[in-house]
Amino acid sequence: MGIMSEKEQSTTHKIGIYLWIWGLLFVLSFFSYMVDWYQLQGLLRWSLILIFMFLKAGLIMAFFMHLFWERYALVNVLLWPMTAIGCFIFLMVAEFQYTVFTRLFYFVVGGQ
Amino acid sequence: MSDPKIEGYEFKPGFKGMAQDTGSDQTMFKGVHWGKAMMWIFLLSHTFIFSCFLISYMKGRGSTLIDWPNTSEVFSLHVGSTPVPLLLIAIMTFVLITSSGTMALAVKYGYEKNRKMCGWLILATAIGGLTFVGMQAFEWSKLIHEGVRPWENPFGAKQFGSFFFMITGFHGTHVSIGVIFLFIYAYKTFKGHYDEGKRGWFTTMKGNYVEIEILGLYWHFVDLVWVFIFAFFYLW
Amino acid sequence: MSDEYENKTGYQAQSSETISSGGRGGGSGTVPDADHVRPAEIPEQDLYHGHSFITKWVFCQDAKVIGVQYFLLATFTGIIGLILSWLMRLQLGFPEAAGFMTAEHYYQFVTMHGMIMVVYFLTALFLGGFGNYLIPLMVGSRDMVFPYLNMVSFWSFFVAVVVLLASFFVPGGPTGAGWTLYPPQAILEGTPGSGMGILLMCISLILFVAGFTMGGLNYMITVLQARTRGMTLMRMPLTVWGIFTATILAMLAFPALLVGGLMMTLDNVLGTSFFMPTILKAGEVLEYGGGSPILFQHLFWFFGHPEVYIVALPAFGIVSDLISVHARKNIFGYRMMVWAIVGIGGLSFFVWAHHMYVSGMNPWFGFFFATTTLIIAIPTAMKVYNWILTLWRGNIRLNVVMLWCLGFIVTFVNGGITGLFLGNVTVDVPLSDTYFVIAHFHMVMGIAPLMVIMGAVYHWFPLVAGRFLDEKLGKWHFWLTFLGAYSIYFPMHYLGFIGVPRRYFEMYDSPYVTSAVGMNEFISVAAFIVGAAQLILIYNIIRTLKIGKPAGHNPWQANSLEWLTPSVPPEHGNWGEKLPVVHRWPYDFSVPGAKEDFITQTTPPSEVTETEVEKT
Repeated sequence: MGIMSEKEQSTTHKIGIYLWIWGLLFVLSFFSYMVDWYQLQGLLRWSLILIFMFLKAGLIMAFFMHLFWERYALVNVLLWPMTAIGCFIFLMVAEFQYTVFTRLFYFVVGGQ
Repeated sequence: MSDPKIEGYEFKPGFKGMAQDTGSDQTMFKGVHWGKAMMWIFLLSHTFIFSCFLISYMKGRGSTLIDWPNTSEVFSLHVGSTPVPLLLIAIMTFVLITSSGTMALAVKYGYEKNRKMCGWLILATAIGGLTFVGMQAFEWSKLIHEGVRPWENPFGAKQFGSFFFMITGFHGTHVSIGVIFLFIYAYKTFKGHYDEGKRGWFTTMKGNYVEIEILGLYWHFVDLVWVFIFAFFYLW
Repeated sequence: MSDEYENKTGYQAQSSETISSGGRGGGSGTVPDADHVRPAEIPEQDLYHGHSFITKWVFCQDAKVIGVQYFLLATFTGIIGLILSWLMRLQLGFPEAAGFMTAEHYYQFVTMHGMIMVVYFLTALFLGGFGNYLIPLMVGSRDMVFPYLNMVSFWSFFVAVVVLLASFFVPGGPTGAGWTLYPPQAILEGTPGSGMGILLMCISLILFVAGFTMGGLNYMITVLQARTRGMTLMRMPLTVWGIFTATILAMLAFPALLVGGLMMTLDNVLGTSFFMPTILKAGEVLEYGGGSPILFQHLFWFFGHPEVYIVALPAFGIVSDLISVHARKNIFGYRMMVWAIVGIGGLSFFVWAHHMYVSGMNPWFGFFFATTTLIIAIPTAMKVYNWILTLWRGNIRLNVVMLWCLGFIVTFVNGGITGLFLGNVTVDVPLSDTYFVIAHFHMVMGIAPLMVIMGAVYHWFPLVAGRFLDEKLGKWHFWLTFLGAYSIYFPMHYLGFIGVPRRYFEMYDSPYVTSAVGMNEFISVAAFIVGAAQLILIYNIIRTLKIGKPAGHNPWQANSLEWLTPSVPPEHGNWGEKLPVVHRWPYDFSVPGAKEDFITQTTPPSEVTETEVEKT
């Protein structure tokens, strides 16, 4: 049971593009490792980690998982639910800050 | 992949195409095999699982008052006598990305009906995955040897051990399952099941090289999760 | 091996050429232009036909049989939940008669009642039962897209139920932590079932989620990728829309439960401290430390709130169809109804912490979640108006099905209004953990969906069994259930207002006793009657199977595809030789100029040229 029958072959992509992405992934992984190697700290560290992470994730999804070539109907169905995750992350950041606040307030400050 | 041809249906690009596909009859994802659509939705569901794990990890790590261990020290390896931070993790990352690349090529050769090339590349992917699992087992035993347990951790907060073993364990399980399927699919490819359209074991669907792509999606997803674990757990 | 999968019933897999012969300029020139429907883009599905008792009825791959299996097993667990609620009401109303019950028993019954009813009864019944039976029929496919996976889905549900019920027989009994299973008390000694009970509960939930994922993938892909020719998304019956959207919610919400359950299992078994803070017990510090109990509440409700809509959305969808068919009128604002379902589904992921206003979370969350909660009332209210406007000037058949639908609207509006109370932080704080909350959620997600289930049973029974359920018994069943349910839950609002707390084993000498005791007795008596009234339905079903009036084809004069199968009840493969071709939405009732008061979905435009049908 396949939607694509024998006659209608989907076109494949040139091998070059895969090798390019492959190389880029190695380079980006190397860069993110270098962030740790040079022990960059603070905002620079977090922003570099996140940038490299999202670039890698984006490249894998777009080219290795072919999302770049998929139709928008599929792409949108897959990406919109991430807003719920985004909301969850955003609120949990606020929540852990508040938990730390209450723990410090009641157990450390209040304890003295 | 790229737009297939469907009798009596004209493909439009971009958001116009999305509106047209969504409003059309029979299928919403035009030309997408059932199994592939299923795998995508399955991965979407799995994204939520791993996101929940990582969000829990963030909440747990953020709200503990005891210091989190310095990961680049905990996960360092000694080369000779100098400690190299995150060496093993770096190698694991490279191995997993390598296997992801071979998988992508396997999908490409599969669609080109290059049976031999496709099979060898799947086998290479499986071996990459096996190497990854092996190195993870090594990493686990090293940490356990140093006294890290799910319920305690000599380097700092208890939650470090808990989250480490749970998240990498859950990810490692997925890699292992992937490896098993990679071997099965390599066997099926070499046997030519996809060329002759032989039906699968538990399905009435005819074999087709699209199955390699479906397996590939799973494998790339496992790699994708590792990208996030690498960033959040080891580098953070 | 592959021989087993060959077609056995005789209909041949058609290539796209033969199917498209009805197309424009195709082989037969007889089809008018207006009736043209795009040729099939999906080849025929090959089905595995069982040929022994085991493969036909036990490990069956036919979605209809699986649907009935789901229905029966879910009903079985639901009856256990009902008996547990009887025991609870016995304790609350007549404590002296319930001498055999200890406080531990009471908490275990509360917990199991809640979990069984929400997850193992309502979710499984709507999505597993109605979803499996109706989706392939209503979208015009031969079966679910992955029949084998579908079968495995049911059997994992079966194992999950077995594990759940096994917890009644382990040392310590089932967990008594409340259906929300909040740590730390869920896994600390002193809570009933803190050892094996909670472990089996977590395992059972994980099995349920795994099984449900398999089923959910089936429902989603069948709706998205396996509709018949002409069936666009906006021509699907609202039943399918409701079940489909609920399935999406389930696929995205159950992961949070899975993660929460897994982490709690590890806390319980390995002694990790994900959810366990530093705890002093009898002056001794336990080994736990540094965990975050509120994290579990967030994870649980990130699942729990969508779960409410997983139960509610199929009910919304089904009731829309029932009202439309039995009021002989198109559903008012079909597109609005669809967008309301989708909107409620999307919003349900942004409202979860309104269950946690008094939990000690970050205080400003109250603003965020009260706002989103009140926004979600808008699409919900839209749906209620649309149901009422559908009834308005309709040609209403006041049969049992319609009675259940009307009962649903009333109970749902009642429960929805109290939801507005509880969605506001300031009003919620004094009301939370009182009987008002119990009244609210039983009205809105207990009784209201149950009314729809009952209506759906009376509506689709002629399709499943080929015979009508008895109307007279049905009316007795309806009125006893409806008035009885109101007698149970309406006084609970009052109990909540005077401050009677929920989950209390007994009230001792608290000041509410005087006014609450009589009411508690009244509620308990009503609960016994309502529970017993369900026997009428069981009797009715058994009686009908033997001597019921034969229904024949399309007994309700409905339009949607499930009534248009060549045989009633439909066979495996549903459609005989040719898949149906859809030309319109399923709501063309009482169209001016039409010969009959309904035009089925498969009627081509050329047959109804003189009428004023809407273009859908």
